[in-house]
Amino acid sequence: MNKRPEIEEIKARFPESYVRDEEFRGDISIVVRKERIFDIFKFLKEDENFLYDYLVDITCIDYLKLNEIERFAVVYHLYTHKNNSRIRIKALVPEKDTVISSVCSLWKGANWMEREVFDLFGIEFIGHPDLSRILTPDDFIGHPLRKDYPLKGRGERENFKVVK
Amino acid sequence: MGIENLLKSNILVTTVDAVVNWGRKYSLWPMPMGTACCAIELMSTLASRYDMGRFGAERLSFSPRQADLMIVAGRVSIKMMPVVIRIWEEIPEPKWCIAMGACASSGGVFDTYTLVQGIDQFIPVDVYIPGCPPRPEGVLDALVKIQKLVEQDSIKKRK
Ligand code: SF4
Repeated sequence: MNKRPEIEEIKARFPESYVRDEEFRGDISIVVRKERIFDIFKFLKEDENFLYDYLVDITCIDYLKLNEIERFAVVYHLYTHKNNSRIRIKALVPEKDTVISSVCSLWKGANWMEREVFDLFGIEFIGHPDLSRILTPDDFIGHPLRKDYPLKGRGERENFKVVK
Repeated sequence: MGIENLLKSNILVTTVDAVVNWGRKYSLWPMPMGTACCAIELMSTLASRYDMGRFGAERLSFSPRQADLMIVAGRVSIKMMPVVIRIWEEIPEPKWCIAMGACASSGGVFDTYTLVQGIDQFIPVDVYIPGCPPRPEGVLDALVKIQKLVEQDSIKKRK
């Protein structure tokens, strides 16, 4: 099976970041370590052959009991208008060091998506212009989409500040 | 024939309460606090087929200051509840409140950290409508129940 050129390029240019790649029904995902994530995106966006100019989505997975190498993965979906193709990059983020570099300077649209991941999973994006909560109230404590967050909350829905 | 005889057949004796309540009852101005899917059903209650206008409540008041009935239609999250309370407090007395649907009444299926489990923990609710979403008939029934409550009201009671 022919691999897509993106995979070979990332393997060759960022050997210390590359973990593995997956393919499902023609969609490829590349799992990488988080350290050089910004350079990987800069390469994918600016390389003449790929020109991944559109960041479709940023989301996050909590692999609490799923035997992944690290606890979290920040997932980026990219699209290129030039080649009309998509790619998914999963950046592994360990539980003890939930910090990753922001891609706001590459795609402006990353701003709110990164805030959402920060709000719900507690991943900090270094270099983000305004990393504050976006969905939960400003005084919310904790990150509710983590798998170890209790479903019924920690009393937020009964005690909260009332605007007068 | 003197004017006295004419007056006899034109004067009714009643109480202020009865007149005022009669007026209020058929001119409720609802504040649609629509936060989720129930609001869609509320809209269809207002539309021509079910026509809430038949009960005098077709004039939705998007400013709470001109409303006297709040219909909370939908889920209320912990971020929205302070806003709902604020709007409730801006409605001048006399005022009534309908909790429309399972979510507004009890949190419904959303027994999660983010959803208020029944708005009656924070504001007084007069009529609850069960259902997910309630049928327009249910909304109309609640409206008639509110009209019955309005009837029992007295201007002496409210200070
Ligand atoms: S009760 Fe049902 S229809 Fe109404 S807001 Fe809740 S989920 Fe939506």
